[in-house]
Amino acid sequence: MNKGAMAPDQEQDTPLKSDSMFINLGPQHPSTHGVLRVGLTIDGEMITKAVPDVGYLHRGTSKLAEVRGYHHCVVLTDRWDYVSAMPNNLVFCLAAERLMGLNVPPRGDVLRVLMCELNRIASHLLFFGTYGIDIGAFTPFLYAFREREMILDLFEMVSGARLTYNYIRLGGVMVDVTDEWVAKCREFIEYFKPRLDEYDTLLTYNPIFMARTEKVGLIPPQTAVNWGLSGPNLRGSGVNYDVRKADPYCGYEQYDFEIPLGKTGSCWDRYFCRVSEMRQSVRIVLQALDKLAPGPVMAPGVAKVPKPQPGEAYAHVEGARGDLGIFLVSDGQASPYRMHVKAPSFMNLAILQELLVGNKVSDVIAILGSTDIVLGEVDR
Amino acid sequence: MIEYFSKVFRGAWATVAGMMVTLKYMVKPSVTVHYPTEKLVPFERFRGALLFDPGTCISCNLCVKACPSTCITLENATIPDPKNPAIKKKVAKVDWYTIDFGKCNFCRLCEESCPTKPKSVWHSLDYEVVFFSRDEMVRCWKAGTKFVGQYWDRKEKAFKDPEGQIQIQDVQARR
Ligand code: SF4
Ligand code: SF4
Repeated sequence: MNKGAMAPDQEQDTPLKSDSMFINLGPQHPSTHGVLRVGLTIDGEMITKAVPDVGYLHRGTSKLAEVRGYHHCVVLTDRWDYVSAMPNNLVFCLAAERLMGLNVPPRGDVLRVLMCELNRIASHLLFFGTYGIDIGAFTPFLYAFREREMILDLFEMVSGARLTYNYIRLGGVMVDVTDEWVAKCREFIEYFKPRLDEYDTLLTYNPIFMARTEKVGLIPPQTAVNWGLSGPNLRGSGVNYDVRKADPYCGYEQYDFEIPLGKTGSCWDRYFCRVSEMRQSVRIVLQALDKLAPGPVMAPGVAKVPKPQPGEAYAHVEGARGDLGIFLVSDGQASPYRMHVKAPSFMNLAILQELLVGNKVSDVIAILGSTDIVLGEVDR
Repeated sequence: MIEYFSKVFRGAWATVAGMMVTLKYMVKPSVTVHYPTEKLVPFERFRGALLFDPGTCISCNLCVKACPSTCITLENATIPDPKNPAIKKKVAKVDWYTIDFGKCNFCRLCEESCPTKPKSVWHSLDYEVVFFSRDEMVRCWKAGTKFVGQYWDRKEKAFKDPEGQIQIQDVQARR
Protein backbone atom coordinates (compact mmCIF):
# COMPACT_ATOMS: atom_id res chain seq x y z
CA MET A 1 0.00 0.00 0.00
CA ASN A 2 1.19 3.47 -0.80
CA LYS A 3 2.39 5.17 2.37
CA GLY A 4 1.06 8.57 1.36
CA ALA A 5 -2.54 7.35 1.08
CA MET A 6 -4.83 8.50 3.84
CA ALA A 7 -6.96 6.20 5.85
CA PRO A 8 -10.57 6.24 4.68
CA ASP A 9 -11.89 8.05 7.75
CA GLN A 10 -9.34 10.85 7.34
CA GLU A 11 -10.37 11.22 3.73
CA GLN A 12 -13.84 12.24 4.82
CA ASP A 13 -12.54 15.06 6.98
CA THR A 14 -10.39 16.84 4.44
CA PRO A 15 -11.45 20.42 3.77
CA LEU A 16 -11.40 19.59 0.05
CA LYS A 17 -15.04 18.56 -0.34
CA SER A 18 -16.17 17.64 -3.80
CA ASP A 19 -19.51 18.95 -5.01
CA SER A 20 -22.34 16.50 -4.77
CA MET A 21 -23.84 15.57 -8.07
CA PHE A 22 -27.28 14.29 -8.98
CA ILE A 23 -27.54 11.55 -11.57
CA ASN A 24 -30.48 9.64 -12.94
CA LEU A 25 -30.21 5.92 -13.22
CA GLY A 26 -32.88 4.94 -15.69
CA PRO A 27 -35.69 4.90 -16.62
CA GLN A 28 -34.14 3.57 -19.82
CA HIS A 29 -31.07 2.05 -18.26
CA PRO A 30 -30.68 -1.53 -19.47
CA SER A 31 -29.73 -2.77 -16.00
CA THR A 32 -32.81 -1.56 -14.20
CA HIS A 33 -34.82 -4.51 -15.55
CA GLY A 34 -37.72 -2.46 -16.73
CA VAL A 35 -38.58 1.15 -16.31
CA LEU A 36 -37.27 2.20 -12.93
CA ARG A 37 -35.66 5.54 -12.25
CA VAL A 38 -33.33 5.92 -9.30
CA GLY A 39 -32.30 9.47 -8.47
CA LEU A 40 -28.79 9.22 -7.04
CA THR A 41 -27.00 12.00 -5.23
CA ILE A 42 -23.33 11.20 -5.28
CA ASP A 43 -20.33 12.68 -3.61
CA GLY A 44 -17.41 11.61 -5.73
CA GLU A 45 -17.92 7.88 -5.98
CA MET A 46 -20.04 7.59 -2.86
CA ILE A 47 -23.81 7.60 -2.90
CA THR A 48 -25.28 9.91 -0.31
CA LYS A 49 -28.93 9.63 -1.26
CA ALA A 50 -30.98 7.32 -3.44
CA VAL A 51 -34.60 7.90 -4.37
CA PRO A 52 -36.30 5.18 -6.37
CA ASP A 53 -39.02 6.62 -8.59
CA VAL A 54 -41.67 4.19 -9.69
CA GLY A 55 -44.89 4.37 -11.65
CA TYR A 56 -43.72 4.22 -15.24
CA LEU A 57 -45.51 0.94 -15.80
CA HIS A 58 -48.67 1.71 -13.85
CA ARG A 59 -51.70 0.20 -15.52
CA GLY A 60 -54.19 0.50 -12.70
CA THR A 61 -55.12 -3.16 -12.55
CA SER A 62 -56.50 -2.87 -9.01
CA LYS A 63 -58.98 -0.25 -10.21
CA LEU A 64 -59.64 -2.11 -13.45
CA ALA A 65 -60.61 -5.21 -11.47
CA GLU A 66 -63.51 -3.27 -9.95
CA VAL A 67 -65.28 -3.19 -13.31
CA ARG A 68 -64.28 -6.64 -14.54
CA GLY A 69 -65.74 -10.04 -13.78
CA TYR A 70 -63.84 -12.57 -11.67
CA HIS A 71 -62.85 -14.65 -14.69
CA HIS A 72 -61.58 -11.53 -16.41
CA CYS A 73 -59.43 -10.58 -13.44
CA VAL A 74 -57.30 -13.69 -13.87
CA VAL A 75 -56.23 -12.27 -17.22
CA LEU A 76 -55.29 -9.01 -15.52
CA THR A 77 -53.16 -10.78 -12.92
CA ASP A 78 -50.93 -12.19 -15.66
CA ARG A 79 -49.64 -8.68 -16.23
CA TRP A 80 -48.19 -7.98 -12.80
CA ASP A 81 -45.16 -10.18 -12.57
CA TYR A 82 -44.89 -11.17 -16.18
CA VAL A 83 -41.75 -13.21 -15.54
CA SER A 84 -43.63 -15.62 -13.31
CA ALA A 85 -47.32 -15.29 -14.04
CA MET A 86 -48.47 -18.63 -12.63
CA PRO A 87 -48.26 -17.59 -8.94
CA ASN A 88 -50.16 -14.42 -9.86
CA ASN A 89 -52.98 -16.45 -11.38
CA LEU A 90 -52.88 -18.73 -8.38
CA VAL A 91 -53.10 -16.08 -5.70
CA PHE A 92 -56.11 -14.42 -7.27
CA CYS A 93 -57.84 -17.75 -7.72
CA LEU A 94 -57.13 -18.75 -4.12
CA ALA A 95 -58.66 -15.53 -2.81
CA ALA A 96 -61.68 -15.74 -5.11
CA GLU A 97 -62.21 -19.42 -4.32
CA ARG A 98 -62.22 -18.57 -0.64
CA LEU A 99 -64.98 -16.04 -1.34
CA MET A 100 -67.00 -18.48 -3.40
CA GLY A 101 -66.33 -21.57 -1.30
CA LEU A 102 -64.97 -23.61 -4.19
CA ASN A 103 -62.90 -26.72 -3.53
CA VAL A 104 -60.22 -27.57 -6.04
CA PRO A 105 -59.91 -31.29 -6.91
CA PRO A 106 -56.60 -32.95 -5.90
CA ARG A 107 -55.24 -33.22 -9.42
CA GLY A 108 -55.92 -29.54 -9.94
CA ASP A 109 -53.93 -28.72 -6.82
CA VAL A 110 -50.98 -30.87 -7.91
CA LEU A 111 -50.97 -29.22 -11.32
CA ARG A 112 -51.00 -25.80 -9.69
CA VAL A 113 -47.99 -26.67 -7.57
CA LEU A 114 -46.24 -28.17 -10.57
CA MET A 115 -46.75 -25.09 -12.73
CA CYS A 116 -45.79 -22.65 -9.98
CA GLU A 117 -42.55 -24.49 -9.29
CA LEU A 118 -41.67 -24.70 -12.98
CA ASN A 119 -42.38 -21.01 -13.18
CA ARG A 120 -40.15 -20.37 -10.18
CA ILE A 121 -37.31 -22.15 -11.96
CA ALA A 122 -37.95 -20.11 -15.11
CA SER A 123 -38.00 -16.88 -13.14
CA HIS A 124 -34.84 -17.65 -11.17
CA LEU A 125 -33.13 -18.64 -14.42
CA LEU A 126 -33.94 -15.22 -15.78
CA PHE A 127 -32.49 -13.68 -12.64
CA PHE A 128 -29.40 -15.86 -12.87
CA GLY A 129 -28.81 -14.84 -16.48
CA THR A 130 -29.46 -11.14 -16.14
CA TYR A 131 -27.55 -10.85 -12.87
CA GLY A 132 -24.58 -12.31 -14.66
CA ILE A 133 -24.91 -9.60 -17.28
CA ASP A 134 -25.19 -6.93 -14.61
CA ILE A 135 -21.92 -8.08 -13.12
CA GLY A 136 -20.32 -8.42 -16.52
CA ALA A 137 -20.54 -12.12 -17.32
CA PHE A 138 -22.47 -12.67 -20.50
CA THR A 139 -22.09 -16.42 -21.03
CA PRO A 140 -24.35 -17.67 -18.19
CA PHE A 141 -27.19 -15.65 -19.68
CA LEU A 142 -27.17 -17.72 -22.85
CA TYR A 143 -27.21 -20.98 -20.92
CA ALA A 144 -29.96 -19.77 -18.61
CA PHE A 145 -32.14 -18.75 -21.51
CA ARG A 146 -31.62 -22.06 -23.25
CA GLU A 147 -33.12 -23.85 -20.26
CA ARG A 148 -35.78 -21.22 -19.68
CA GLU A 149 -36.91 -21.70 -23.26
CA MET A 150 -37.59 -25.36 -22.53
CA ILE A 151 -39.83 -24.46 -19.59
CA LEU A 152 -41.65 -21.90 -21.71
CA ASP A 153 -42.13 -24.60 -24.33
CA LEU A 154 -43.72 -26.78 -21.68
CA PHE A 155 -46.05 -23.94 -20.76
CA GLU A 156 -46.83 -23.24 -24.38
CA MET A 157 -47.71 -26.86 -24.88
CA VAL A 158 -50.21 -26.91 -22.05
CA SER A 159 -51.63 -23.39 -21.94
CA GLY A 160 -50.85 -21.91 -25.34
CA ALA A 161 -48.91 -18.88 -24.12
CA ARG A 162 -45.32 -18.30 -23.18
CA LEU A 163 -45.64 -15.48 -20.66
CA THR A 164 -49.24 -14.58 -19.88
CA TYR A 165 -50.63 -18.02 -19.25
CA ASN A 166 -54.14 -17.53 -17.87
CA TYR A 167 -53.77 -21.21 -16.99
CA ILE A 168 -54.85 -21.36 -13.36
CA ARG A 169 -58.55 -20.60 -13.32
CA LEU A 170 -61.21 -20.24 -10.67
CA GLY A 171 -61.88 -23.73 -9.39
CA GLY A 172 -58.94 -25.49 -10.95
CA VAL A 173 -56.79 -25.21 -14.02
CA MET A 174 -57.57 -24.59 -17.66
CA VAL A 175 -56.92 -28.05 -19.08
CA ASP A 176 -55.37 -31.30 -17.99
CA VAL A 177 -51.84 -32.18 -19.03
CA THR A 178 -51.23 -35.04 -21.42
CA ASP A 179 -48.97 -38.04 -20.85
CA GLU A 180 -46.72 -36.64 -23.54
CA TRP A 181 -46.37 -33.46 -21.51
CA VAL A 182 -45.50 -35.37 -18.34
CA ALA A 183 -42.84 -37.33 -20.22
CA LYS A 184 -41.43 -34.13 -21.64
CA CYS A 185 -41.38 -32.51 -18.22
CA ARG A 186 -39.45 -35.45 -16.72
CA GLU A 187 -37.04 -35.28 -19.62
CA PHE A 188 -36.48 -31.61 -18.93
CA ILE A 189 -35.83 -32.18 -15.24
CA GLU A 190 -33.31 -34.89 -16.04
CA TYR A 191 -31.62 -32.50 -18.44
CA PHE A 192 -31.77 -29.61 -16.01
CA LYS A 193 -30.26 -31.19 -12.88
CA PRO A 194 -26.65 -31.42 -14.14
CA ARG A 195 -26.96 -27.92 -15.64
CA LEU A 196 -27.21 -26.48 -12.14
CA ASP A 197 -23.70 -27.68 -11.37
CA GLU A 198 -22.48 -25.99 -14.52
CA TYR A 199 -24.03 -22.75 -13.33
CA ASP A 200 -22.03 -23.05 -10.13
CA THR A 201 -18.86 -23.42 -12.16
CA LEU A 202 -19.71 -20.55 -14.45
CA LEU A 203 -20.89 -18.01 -11.94
CA THR A 204 -21.63 -18.99 -8.35
CA TYR A 205 -18.10 -19.86 -7.26
CA ASN A 206 -16.31 -17.69 -9.79
CA PRO A 207 -13.80 -15.61 -7.75
CA ILE A 208 -14.45 -12.46 -9.76
CA PHE A 209 -18.19 -12.74 -9.29
CA MET A 210 -17.76 -13.52 -5.59
CA ALA A 211 -15.45 -10.57 -5.07
CA ARG A 212 -18.00 -8.22 -6.57
CA THR A 213 -20.99 -9.49 -4.63
CA GLU A 214 -19.83 -11.11 -1.41
CA LYS A 215 -19.42 -8.10 0.86
CA VAL A 216 -21.74 -5.75 -0.97
CA GLY A 217 -25.26 -4.67 -0.11
CA LEU A 218 -25.46 -6.24 3.32
CA ILE A 219 -28.97 -6.43 4.78
CA PRO A 220 -28.99 -7.40 8.47
CA PRO A 221 -31.94 -9.63 9.43
CA GLN A 222 -33.56 -6.93 11.53
CA THR A 223 -33.44 -4.39 8.71
CA ALA A 224 -34.87 -6.92 6.30
CA VAL A 225 -37.82 -7.57 8.59
CA ASN A 226 -38.31 -3.86 9.27
CA TRP A 227 -38.58 -3.07 5.58
CA GLY A 228 -41.00 -5.95 5.07
CA LEU A 229 -38.86 -7.87 2.62
CA SER A 230 -39.94 -11.31 1.57
CA GLY A 231 -38.80 -14.11 -0.64
CA PRO A 232 -35.13 -14.80 -1.33
CA ASN A 233 -34.24 -11.26 -0.30
CA LEU A 234 -35.42 -11.98 3.23
CA ARG A 235 -34.04 -15.50 3.33
CA GLY A 236 -30.70 -14.25 2.07
CA SER A 237 -30.42 -12.45 5.42
CA GLY A 238 -31.02 -15.70 7.24
CA VAL A 239 -34.64 -15.16 8.26
CA ASN A 240 -36.50 -18.41 7.80
CA TYR A 241 -39.84 -17.37 6.41
CA ASP A 242 -41.46 -19.01 3.42
CA VAL A 243 -45.21 -18.98 2.86
CA ARG A 244 -45.02 -22.52 1.52
CA LYS A 245 -43.93 -23.66 4.99
CA ALA A 246 -45.45 -20.98 7.18
CA ASP A 247 -48.95 -21.02 5.70
CA PRO A 248 -49.16 -23.94 3.25
CA TYR A 249 -51.57 -23.71 0.35
CA CYS A 250 -52.41 -26.17 -2.45
CA GLY A 251 -51.09 -29.01 -0.32
CA TYR A 252 -47.49 -27.79 -0.01
CA GLU A 253 -47.30 -29.46 3.40
CA GLN A 254 -47.19 -32.84 1.64
CA TYR A 255 -44.03 -32.02 -0.27
CA ASP A 256 -40.57 -32.61 1.04
CA PHE A 257 -38.27 -29.66 0.46
CA GLU A 258 -35.94 -27.33 2.30
CA ILE A 259 -35.75 -23.59 2.56
CA PRO A 260 -32.27 -22.39 1.60
CA LEU A 261 -31.01 -19.61 3.85
CA GLY A 262 -28.19 -17.12 3.48
CA LYS A 263 -25.82 -16.06 6.23
CA THR A 264 -24.87 -12.41 5.93
CA GLY A 265 -27.52 -10.93 3.67
CA SER A 266 -25.05 -9.90 1.00
CA CYS A 267 -25.76 -9.83 -2.73
CA TRP A 268 -24.08 -13.19 -3.07
CA ASP A 269 -26.28 -14.72 -0.39
CA ARG A 270 -29.42 -13.53 -2.10
CA TYR A 271 -28.10 -14.89 -5.37
CA PHE A 272 -27.17 -18.18 -3.77
CA CYS A 273 -30.62 -18.52 -2.18
CA ARG A 274 -32.20 -18.34 -5.61
CA VAL A 275 -29.85 -20.85 -7.17
CA SER A 276 -30.46 -23.24 -4.26
CA GLU A 277 -34.19 -22.68 -4.58
CA MET A 278 -34.01 -23.98 -8.12
CA ARG A 279 -32.65 -27.25 -6.77
CA GLN A 280 -35.50 -27.43 -4.27
CA SER A 281 -38.04 -26.62 -6.99
CA VAL A 282 -36.67 -29.49 -9.04
CA ARG A 283 -37.36 -31.75 -6.07
CA ILE A 284 -40.91 -30.45 -5.74
CA VAL A 285 -41.58 -30.85 -9.46
CA LEU A 286 -40.47 -34.47 -9.34
CA GLN A 287 -42.67 -35.17 -6.33
CA ALA A 288 -45.62 -33.44 -7.98
CA LEU A 289 -45.18 -35.50 -11.13
CA ASP A 290 -45.30 -38.67 -9.03
CA LYS A 291 -48.40 -37.42 -7.24
CA LEU A 292 -50.40 -36.87 -10.43
CA ALA A 293 -53.34 -39.25 -10.01
CA PRO A 294 -56.08 -39.32 -12.63
CA GLY A 295 -59.11 -37.24 -11.80
CA PRO A 296 -60.84 -34.00 -12.64
CA VAL A 297 -58.82 -30.79 -12.74
CA MET A 298 -61.72 -28.39 -12.39
CA ALA A 299 -64.23 -28.05 -9.56
CA PRO A 300 -67.80 -28.68 -10.75
CA GLY A 301 -70.29 -25.85 -10.93
CA VAL A 302 -68.07 -22.82 -11.42
CA ALA A 303 -70.45 -20.08 -12.49
CA LYS A 304 -69.91 -18.32 -15.81
CA VAL A 305 -70.48 -14.99 -14.08
CA PRO A 306 -69.65 -15.63 -10.41
CA LYS A 307 -71.33 -13.41 -7.84
CA PRO A 308 -69.87 -14.40 -4.48
CA GLN A 309 -71.55 -13.61 -1.18
CA PRO A 310 -70.54 -10.26 0.30
CA GLY A 311 -67.38 -10.72 2.32
CA GLU A 312 -63.63 -10.46 2.37
CA ALA A 313 -60.84 -12.88 1.65
CA TYR A 314 -57.08 -12.76 1.85
CA ALA A 315 -54.76 -15.25 0.22
CA HIS A 316 -51.02 -15.22 -0.14
CA VAL A 317 -48.54 -17.44 -1.92
CA GLU A 318 -44.79 -17.66 -2.18
CA GLY A 319 -44.20 -16.27 -5.64
CA ALA A 320 -40.78 -16.26 -7.23
CA ARG A 321 -40.13 -12.84 -5.71
CA GLY A 322 -41.67 -13.30 -2.32
CA ASP A 323 -44.87 -13.19 -0.36
CA LEU A 324 -47.52 -12.21 -2.90
CA GLY A 325 -50.88 -11.45 -1.33
CA ILE A 326 -54.33 -10.43 -2.48
CA PHE A 327 -57.10 -8.89 -0.45
CA LEU A 328 -60.44 -9.22 -2.15
CA VAL A 329 -63.71 -7.65 -1.04
CA SER A 330 -66.98 -8.69 -2.59
CA ASP A 331 -70.29 -6.85 -2.32
CA GLY A 332 -72.27 -9.56 -4.06
CA GLN A 333 -71.86 -8.08 -7.53
CA ALA A 334 -70.22 -9.66 -10.55
CA SER A 335 -66.98 -7.74 -10.06
CA PRO A 336 -64.87 -7.38 -6.91
CA TYR A 337 -65.64 -4.35 -4.78
CA ARG A 338 -61.97 -3.90 -4.04
CA MET A 339 -58.83 -5.76 -4.93
CA HIS A 340 -55.61 -4.96 -3.13
CA VAL A 341 -52.34 -6.49 -4.17
CA LYS A 342 -49.47 -6.88 -1.75
CA ALA A 343 -46.63 -7.06 -4.22
CA PRO A 344 -43.26 -8.33 -2.96
CA SER A 345 -41.27 -6.44 -5.59
CA PHE A 346 -42.58 -3.11 -4.36
CA MET A 347 -41.36 -3.78 -0.84
CA ASN A 348 -38.08 -5.21 -2.01
CA LEU A 349 -37.55 -2.07 -4.04
CA ALA A 350 -38.22 0.27 -1.14
CA ILE A 351 -35.15 -0.89 0.78
CA LEU A 352 -32.91 0.52 -1.96
CA GLN A 353 -33.20 3.96 -0.31
CA GLU A 354 -31.31 2.68 2.67
CA LEU A 355 -29.23 0.01 1.02
CA LEU A 356 -27.61 2.11 -1.68
CA VAL A 357 -26.41 4.90 0.62
CA GLY A 358 -22.73 4.62 1.38
CA ASN A 359 -21.98 2.37 -1.54
CA LYS A 360 -19.96 3.09 -4.65
CA VAL A 361 -21.67 3.88 -7.94
CA SER A 362 -20.30 0.72 -9.48
CA ASP A 363 -22.06 -1.36 -6.82
CA VAL A 364 -25.49 0.10 -7.54
CA ILE A 365 -26.16 -2.30 -10.36
CA ALA A 366 -24.93 -5.26 -8.33
CA ILE A 367 -27.30 -4.38 -5.49
CA LEU A 368 -30.23 -3.48 -7.70
CA GLY A 369 -29.86 -6.69 -9.68
CA SER A 370 -29.65 -8.80 -6.54
CA THR A 371 -33.07 -7.62 -5.30
CA ASP A 372 -34.59 -9.12 -8.47
CA ILE A 373 -37.51 -6.77 -8.94
CA VAL A 374 -40.01 -6.86 -11.77
CA LEU A 375 -41.38 -3.45 -12.53
CA GLY A 376 -44.69 -4.81 -13.77
CA GLU A 377 -45.34 -5.96 -10.24
CA VAL A 378 -44.01 -2.81 -8.57
CA ASP A 379 -46.36 -0.53 -10.48
CA ARG A 380 -49.22 -2.89 -11.30
CA MET B 1 2.75 -13.22 -1.35
CA ILE B 2 1.39 -16.75 -1.24
CA GLU B 3 -2.08 -15.32 -0.90
CA TYR B 4 -1.54 -13.19 -3.98
CA PHE B 5 -0.50 -16.13 -6.10
CA SER B 6 -3.25 -18.36 -4.81
CA LYS B 7 -5.70 -15.63 -5.78
CA VAL B 8 -4.23 -15.46 -9.27
CA PHE B 9 -4.34 -19.22 -9.51
CA ARG B 10 -7.96 -19.40 -8.40
CA GLY B 11 -8.97 -16.72 -10.88
CA ALA B 12 -7.18 -18.50 -13.69
CA TRP B 13 -8.64 -21.85 -12.74
CA ALA B 14 -12.18 -20.40 -12.72
CA THR B 15 -11.61 -19.10 -16.23
CA VAL B 16 -10.36 -22.48 -17.40
CA ALA B 17 -13.27 -24.29 -15.74
CA GLY B 18 -15.71 -21.87 -17.33
CA MET B 19 -14.11 -22.35 -20.71
CA MET B 20 -14.41 -26.13 -20.33
CA VAL B 21 -18.18 -25.77 -19.97
CA THR B 22 -18.31 -23.51 -22.99
CA LEU B 23 -16.13 -25.79 -25.10
CA LYS B 24 -18.34 -28.75 -24.24
CA TYR B 25 -21.24 -27.04 -25.96
CA MET B 26 -19.22 -25.96 -28.98
CA VAL B 27 -19.42 -29.44 -30.44
CA LYS B 28 -23.12 -29.90 -29.67
CA PRO B 29 -25.76 -28.94 -32.27
CA SER B 30 -26.98 -25.38 -32.05
CA VAL B 31 -30.23 -24.70 -30.18
CA THR B 32 -31.16 -21.52 -32.01
CA VAL B 33 -33.19 -21.07 -35.17
CA HIS B 34 -32.27 -18.70 -37.97
CA TYR B 35 -35.50 -16.86 -37.71
CA PRO B 36 -36.67 -15.29 -40.94
CA THR B 37 -35.50 -18.17 -43.08
CA GLU B 38 -36.34 -20.93 -40.64
CA LYS B 39 -39.49 -20.76 -38.56
CA LEU B 40 -40.77 -22.72 -35.62
CA VAL B 41 -44.27 -24.08 -35.70
CA PRO B 42 -45.86 -23.56 -32.29
CA PHE B 43 -47.67 -26.28 -30.40
CA GLU B 44 -51.24 -27.11 -31.21
CA ARG B 45 -52.71 -25.14 -28.30
CA PHE B 46 -50.78 -21.98 -29.14
CA ARG B 47 -52.76 -18.78 -28.81
CA GLY B 48 -51.93 -16.78 -31.89
CA ALA B 49 -53.95 -14.23 -33.83
CA LEU B 50 -57.68 -14.84 -33.80
CA LEU B 51 -59.54 -16.12 -36.80
CA PHE B 52 -63.30 -15.91 -37.29
CA ASP B 53 -65.76 -17.77 -39.47
CA PRO B 54 -68.80 -15.64 -40.35
CA GLY B 55 -70.49 -18.71 -41.81
CA THR B 56 -70.90 -20.66 -38.58
CA CYS B 57 -71.34 -17.85 -36.05
CA ILE B 58 -74.82 -17.73 -34.53
CA SER B 59 -74.40 -14.21 -33.17
CA CYS B 60 -74.98 -15.23 -29.57
CA ASN B 61 -72.83 -12.51 -27.97
CA LEU B 62 -71.14 -14.97 -25.57
CA CYS B 63 -67.67 -14.09 -26.82
CA VAL B 64 -68.41 -10.39 -26.34
CA LYS B 65 -69.34 -11.03 -22.72
CA ALA B 66 -66.37 -13.32 -22.11
CA CYS B 67 -63.78 -10.87 -23.36
CA PRO B 68 -61.91 -9.10 -20.55
CA SER B 69 -60.99 -6.06 -22.59
CA THR B 70 -64.16 -5.63 -24.65
CA CYS B 71 -62.38 -5.86 -27.94
CA ILE B 72 -65.11 -7.78 -29.77
CA THR B 73 -68.15 -6.08 -31.24
CA LEU B 74 -70.76 -7.61 -33.48
CA GLU B 75 -74.09 -6.84 -35.07
CA ASN B 76 -76.93 -9.24 -35.73
CA ALA B 77 -77.98 -9.83 -39.28
CA THR B 78 -81.60 -8.93 -39.99
CA ILE B 79 -84.16 -9.87 -42.58
CA PRO B 80 -87.37 -7.96 -43.37
CA ASP B 81 -90.40 -9.38 -41.57
CA PRO B 82 -92.56 -11.25 -44.14
CA LYS B 83 -95.75 -9.72 -42.75
CA ASN B 84 -94.57 -6.16 -42.40
CA PRO B 85 -91.48 -5.39 -44.53
CA ALA B 86 -90.83 -2.17 -42.64
CA ILE B 87 -89.88 -4.12 -39.49
CA LYS B 88 -86.48 -5.84 -39.48
CA LYS B 89 -86.26 -9.22 -37.75
CA LYS B 90 -83.05 -10.49 -36.14
CA VAL B 91 -81.68 -13.83 -37.29
CA ALA B 92 -78.97 -16.07 -35.85
CA LYS B 93 -76.26 -14.80 -38.18
CA VAL B 94 -73.76 -11.98 -37.90
CA ASP B 95 -73.99 -8.94 -40.07
CA TRP B 96 -70.52 -7.75 -39.13
CA TYR B 97 -67.98 -8.74 -36.48
CA THR B 98 -64.83 -6.91 -35.41
CA ILE B 99 -61.92 -7.69 -33.12
CA ASP B 100 -59.60 -4.92 -31.99
CA PHE B 101 -56.17 -6.54 -31.80
CA GLY B 102 -54.83 -3.42 -30.15
CA LYS B 103 -56.72 -4.41 -27.02
CA CYS B 104 -56.66 -8.20 -27.31
CA ASN B 105 -54.98 -10.16 -24.51
CA PHE B 106 -54.75 -13.42 -26.46
CA CYS B 107 -56.38 -15.13 -23.52
CA ARG B 108 -58.63 -17.72 -25.21
CA LEU B 109 -61.70 -16.78 -23.16
CA CYS B 110 -63.67 -15.97 -26.31
CA GLU B 111 -62.75 -19.25 -27.94
CA GLU B 112 -63.72 -21.18 -24.82
CA SER B 113 -67.10 -19.51 -24.60
CA CYS B 114 -68.07 -20.03 -28.24
CA PRO B 115 -70.88 -22.62 -28.40
CA THR B 116 -70.69 -23.56 -32.09
CA LYS B 117 -68.94 -26.63 -33.41
CA PRO B 118 -66.46 -26.06 -34.90
CA LYS B 119 -65.65 -22.86 -33.03
CA SER B 120 -66.54 -19.68 -34.86
CA VAL B 121 -63.74 -17.69 -33.27
CA TRP B 122 -60.46 -19.41 -32.54
CA HIS B 123 -56.74 -18.84 -32.08
CA SER B 124 -54.56 -19.63 -35.07
CA LEU B 125 -50.90 -20.54 -34.79
CA ASP B 126 -49.87 -17.22 -36.30
CA TYR B 127 -47.36 -15.43 -34.10
CA GLU B 128 -46.30 -12.91 -36.69
CA VAL B 129 -49.22 -10.51 -36.54
CA VAL B 130 -47.93 -7.19 -37.81
CA PHE B 131 -49.72 -3.89 -38.01
CA PHE B 132 -48.53 -0.82 -39.86
CA SER B 133 -51.28 1.45 -38.60
CA ARG B 134 -53.98 1.55 -35.95
CA ASP B 135 -56.64 1.01 -38.55
CA GLU B 136 -55.11 -2.33 -39.32
CA MET B 137 -55.50 -3.48 -35.73
CA VAL B 138 -59.26 -3.62 -36.08
CA ARG B 139 -60.15 -6.64 -38.13
CA CYS B 140 -63.62 -6.79 -39.65
CA TRP B 141 -65.55 -9.74 -40.92
CA LYS B 142 -68.73 -9.92 -42.98
CA ALA B 143 -70.47 -12.78 -44.69
CA GLY B 144 -68.10 -14.09 -47.33
CA THR B 145 -64.88 -12.65 -45.84
CA LYS B 146 -61.97 -14.99 -45.38
CA PHE B 147 -61.16 -16.29 -41.87
CA VAL B 148 -58.34 -13.81 -41.47
CA GLY B 149 -60.65 -10.84 -42.05
CA GLN B 150 -60.14 -7.40 -43.50
CA TYR B 151 -59.41 -3.97 -42.19
CA TRP B 152 -60.87 -0.61 -43.02
CA ASP B 153 -58.40 1.79 -44.58
CA ARG B 154 -59.47 5.22 -43.43
CA LYS B 155 -57.56 7.15 -46.08
CA GLU B 156 -58.61 5.15 -49.07
CA LYS B 157 -62.08 4.40 -47.68
CA ALA B 158 -61.94 0.73 -48.59
CA PHE B 159 -61.66 -2.68 -46.92
CA LYS B 160 -58.28 -4.23 -47.44
CA ASP B 161 -56.67 -7.60 -46.83
CA PRO B 162 -54.08 -7.55 -44.06
CA GLU B 163 -50.51 -7.69 -45.27
CA GLY B 164 -47.60 -9.48 -43.76
CA GLN B 165 -49.69 -12.28 -42.33
CA ILE B 166 -47.87 -15.56 -42.68
CA GLN B 167 -49.51 -18.84 -43.30
CA ILE B 168 -47.80 -20.65 -40.45
CA GLN B 169 -49.15 -24.01 -41.54
CA ASP B 170 -47.02 -23.76 -44.70
CA VAL B 171 -43.82 -23.12 -42.78
CA GLN B 172 -41.36 -25.95 -42.60
CA ALA B 173 -41.87 -27.80 -39.34
CA ARG B 174 -39.19 -28.36 -36.76
CA ARG B 175 -41.15 -30.15 -34.12
S1 SF4 C 1 -58.43 -13.56 -26.83
FE1 SF4 C 1 -59.26 -12.65 -24.93
S2 SF4 C 1 -58.91 -10.45 -25.20
FE2 SF4 C 1 -58.70 -11.36 -27.23
S3 SF4 C 1 -60.72 -11.21 -28.16
FE3 SF4 C 1 -60.62 -13.22 -27.17
S4 SF4 C 1 -61.47 -12.90 -25.11
FE4 SF4 C 1 -60.98 -10.87 -25.96
S1 SF4 D 1 -68.21 -16.16 -32.36
FE1 SF4 D 1 -69.14 -17.82 -31.16
S2 SF4 D 1 -69.53 -16.91 -29.17
FE2 SF4 D 1 -69.15 -15.21 -30.57
S3 SF4 D 1 -71.20 -14.60 -31.27
FE3 SF4 D 1 -70.41 -16.07 -32.76
S4 SF4 D 1 -71.17 -18.06 -32.08
FE4 SF4 D 1 -71.40 -16.65 -30.33
